[in-house]
Amino acid sequence: MFKNYLLLALRNLKKQKVFSIINIAGLTVGILSCLMIFLFVQNEFSYDNFHENGNNIYRVMRVAERNGNRETIPYLSPPYATAIKNDYPDAVKTAVRVMPAGGLVSYENVAFNEKEIYFTDADFFSLFDFKLTAGDKKTVLQNPGSVVLTETAAKKYFGKQDPIGKVLILDKELQLKVTGVAKDIPTNSHLNFDLVVPISNYSNSDWFREWNNNNLFTYVQLNPKTDVDKLTGSFTAFMDKYVNEETGEKTGLDLSRLEDIYFESAGPWDQVKHGNLNVVYIFMSIAFLILFIACINFMNLSTARATERSKEVGLRKVLGAVRRQLVFQFIGESILLAAISCLLALGLLQFFMPAFNSLLGYELQGYWKNPNLYVFIAVIIVVIGLLAGSYPAFLLSSFSPVESLKGKLRLGTGGAFFRKVLVVFQFSCTVLLIIGMMIIGSQMNYVRTKNLGFDKERSVVVKLDNNEIWTGMNRFKQQLQNNPSIENVSLMSGAPGGFHDSFTFQVEGMPGDDLQFRTVFADFEYVRTLGLKILAGRDFSPAFPTDSGQAVLINRAAAVKLGVTPEKAPGMRLRNTMRDSVSRTVVGVVENFHFLSLRETIEPMVISGSMDRRVAVIKLKNGDPGQAINAIKKAYTGIAPVYPFEFEFLDQQFDHQYQTDQRQQYILSGFSAIAIFIACLGLFGLASYTAVRRTKEIGVRKVLGSSTQNIVILLSKDLLKPVLLGTLIAIPLGYAAMYQWLQSFAYRTSLHWWVFAVAAITAVLIALITVSFQAVKAATANPVKSLRTE
Amino acid sequence: MIQLKHIFHWVNQGGKRVFILKDINMEVNEGEFISVMGASGSGKSTLLHILGTIQEPNEGDYFLKGESVYQLKEKQRSLLMKQNIGIVFQAYHLIDELTVYENIETPLLYLNIPASERKARVAEMLDKFQIVGKKDLFPSQLSGGQQQIVGIARALIIEPTLLLADEPTGNLNSKQGEEIMNIFKELNQEGVTIVQVTHSEKNAAYGTRIITLSDGQIEHAKNDQ
Repeated sequence: MFKNYLLLALRNLKKQKVFSIINIAGLTVGILSCLMIFLFVQNEFSYDNFHENGNNIYRVMRVAERNGNRETIPYLSPPYATAIKNDYPDAVKTAVRVMPAGGLVSYENVAFNEKEIYFTDADFFSLFDFKLTAGDKKTVLQNPGSVVLTETAAKKYFGKQDPIGKVLILDKELQLKVTGVAKDIPTNSHLNFDLVVPISNYSNSDWFREWNNNNLFTYVQLNPKTDVDKLTGSFTAFMDKYVNEETGEKTGLDLSRLEDIYFESAGPWDQVKHGNLNVVYIFMSIAFLILFIACINFMNLSTARATERSKEVGLRKVLGAVRRQLVFQFIGESILLAAISCLLALGLLQFFMPAFNSLLGYELQGYWKNPNLYVFIAVIIVVIGLLAGSYPAFLLSSFSPVESLKGKLRLGTGGAFFRKVLVVFQFSCTVLLIIGMMIIGSQMNYVRTKNLGFDKERSVVVKLDNNEIWTGMNRFKQQLQNNPSIENVSLMSGAPGGFHDSFTFQVEGMPGDDLQFRTVFADFEYVRTLGLKILAGRDFSPAFPTDSGQAVLINRAAAVKLGVTPEKAPGMRLRNTMRDSVSRTVVGVVENFHFLSLRETIEPMVISGSMDRRVAVIKLKNGDPGQAINAIKKAYTGIAPVYPFEFEFLDQQFDHQYQTDQRQQYILSGFSAIAIFIACLGLFGLASYTAVRRTKEIGVRKVLGSSTQNIVILLSKDLLKPVLLGTLIAIPLGYAAMYQWLQSFAYRTSLHWWVFAVAAITAVLIALITVSFQAVKAATANPVKSLRTE
Repeated sequence: MIQLKHIFHWVNQGGKRVFILKDINMEVNEGEFISVMGASGSGKSTLLHILGTIQEPNEGDYFLKGESVYQLKEKQRSLLMKQNIGIVFQAYHLIDELTVYENIETPLLYLNIPASERKARVAEMLDKFQIVGKKDLFPSQLSGGQQQIVGIARALIIEPTLLLADEPTGNLNSKQGEEIMNIFKELNQEGVTIVQVTHSEKNAAYGTRIITLSDGQIEHAKNDQ
């Protein structure tokens, strides 16, 4: 019996080539997209699930109330770990500090500027399950002068030599002997390192004992029986005891579960990898939509073909088949199709994975070994088989045998109506995706071209991230300023788009609540280098020697927060409660500019001359930038000879903030194209089916004198109506969805009507071309031929 | 073997009942070869469909081997039918996607007969009708007469007690038709009960009894012997 069905199904596939190709191609592409998205989603949800004690591991977070918002900050100072272990001996099993840092690492005559060095406590490898291929996880970090490298990092320094026992030099001073090699970090780990160095190297430093030096992460492993709520509840007393008394702030403490860290919105300064749950949901919806569209094709084509197979069904009933057997046969056929498509999709997956990986920006590894992939495929086969096969199965098996044998089935309106409803659905989904793609595109364009209020062109950012360049920064600046191809140089704590810490300020003459301001610490060239506009007062100037210690500039938003017009602001005095002992005078007000991404509104900011220099922004003159960059490189290597010179253009660096959105745009575009393709494939099938079915009618009409044009219109009209309706339904849905998406940007493009018009016209036009292709073919055929076949 | 009692069948046309069959009472005994005749639209085919339970009348009773067919549950009725009745159609109605062999085999699949026995019985059938050489051909590769032979083989594979034939020679030329009728005659002599619907006096003459339908009613039954 089964063999009989299988044979019949395969022969049917072969006989109905067009339908089979459309069905299989549509399903294959749909399943392929789903598989890719599944692998992505599965990876997102698998973050940090490989740690054996993961359920008991937490990251300790500081909690602060800022302007009424609860903000969590992942950085803690070194004494927290010791104190937590000390104060909660029953609850806390271990506490491990992880300090991410960068540094120059050298071995013999090779040196690299490493960006992912973790300084950690000795139990790092016992707490986390990063597998060591060499070395013992309990002892590798015991000795301060030891280091563990990942396999890739080890290869970089030592090639094929055995790394164990070799000595690396960190920042030209610290000698580190390799004691272990770790497997490369899996993609789904929020922690990501190349080298691990014992933090005990710093335990004698002064900063290591300060409570307010918040520069590292603290992870704790709790005893399994610990009541976590009770523990976090007792943190208020802990903070009061150690921290708040000293600083006068009201900071709290909380725990984040290890597996929750990845999806936490921990602010832009958290250096670990983060994901966005919304993006995951968007992807899942897209996968669902595409699969749905492909299933609709299947259902549509099968029901359209139902009349052709009705004879077979009638016969089988006469020959003794009961309904259940027929349903089983047809669902079996669709499961077979789904299985073929799945196999093809798996083959194609191998082929397209590299492209998908580069689109994602990271590698999804080892997916062939992932059992979930196969479970997913099995589920897909069954679900598609049932979903796509059940309607035709039940429809076909409900035919009365007499009618189907006589060939006068009254399938007519019911089935056709259902098919149209499905096409409406299909095109709603498609147009929805096109609208999404276009609006994300136009927002990205808006973001890239919007006037940011500062001059981002021809500016180079060089990090002052090693001791040599840091101590020689004034010399560096001096040399560059003397260079004819360079217009201006400014040293600052953070370039636009970079780090702008919040501080509490006390305003003289405004008793009561202290105010929060964003800050940047910079030299006197800040305003000129970035091309900011002074609204009132004056810029910092060397003519006023007190400026560096006693003056600040503020932006317009800060003036508004202070409750004065920009003209009135100069002369006001404020004090940074953390950093300054005396108040500073506002000497000028600058126009607002986007020092944060366009997701954020422009916040009130204070520009002050305090010493905190982390980057140099170098404004080039018109002319060949290559020459200027060579000059910068020369100056840099003159001061910090061993360190590799690295730089970035300010505009590019600023745009990096939208990298995820950019990726989303590309991926959404790709999947929209796929959705349109599948939907049109289905439409093409329906059109060719209609054309075949109406061959005789067309022949008669032509003999009676109808023009080709009339026949094309006749055939197209029927199929285009549901497409138009689907498009109309999609427009308000798309508007609502994209309006929601745009809310995540403080500055956004308006939802132009033409975006919707273009999306609608694109979909309808593609549908029209698809349908009329078949219609023209049918209409231009010789009527004598089509009549003779009857 | 078969009794039809007060069979009425009608369709509604413009609020009026138009009778297709009107108070049909008939009996078919084992070993008979009955020819049903009548003009187009007299209800012959409907009567045959009712006998084959492809169609159910609006009123009336049908007894097969003493069982009241319409009182049976769907499953039991289906079983009774597929074990006892073989049908041959005017348009052959073979499944185009299956080979001759597979077409003949299909009814056995629905009787859950094991593969080895199926093989033996299909082989026997192929042999009987001398179509062994054609077993791997598809219906479209056969002539009409050959297709009808396959159709008969398929009807006989279940070893039916009753063979129903709806104008079995209607689509064939006279030589092919004669061949088919001879097969029917032989089958009848082997003990198969046959009811055929036909237009042709000549074909009707092969039977043992003729029933003539006119406007849904049995005109008269005449016995040849």
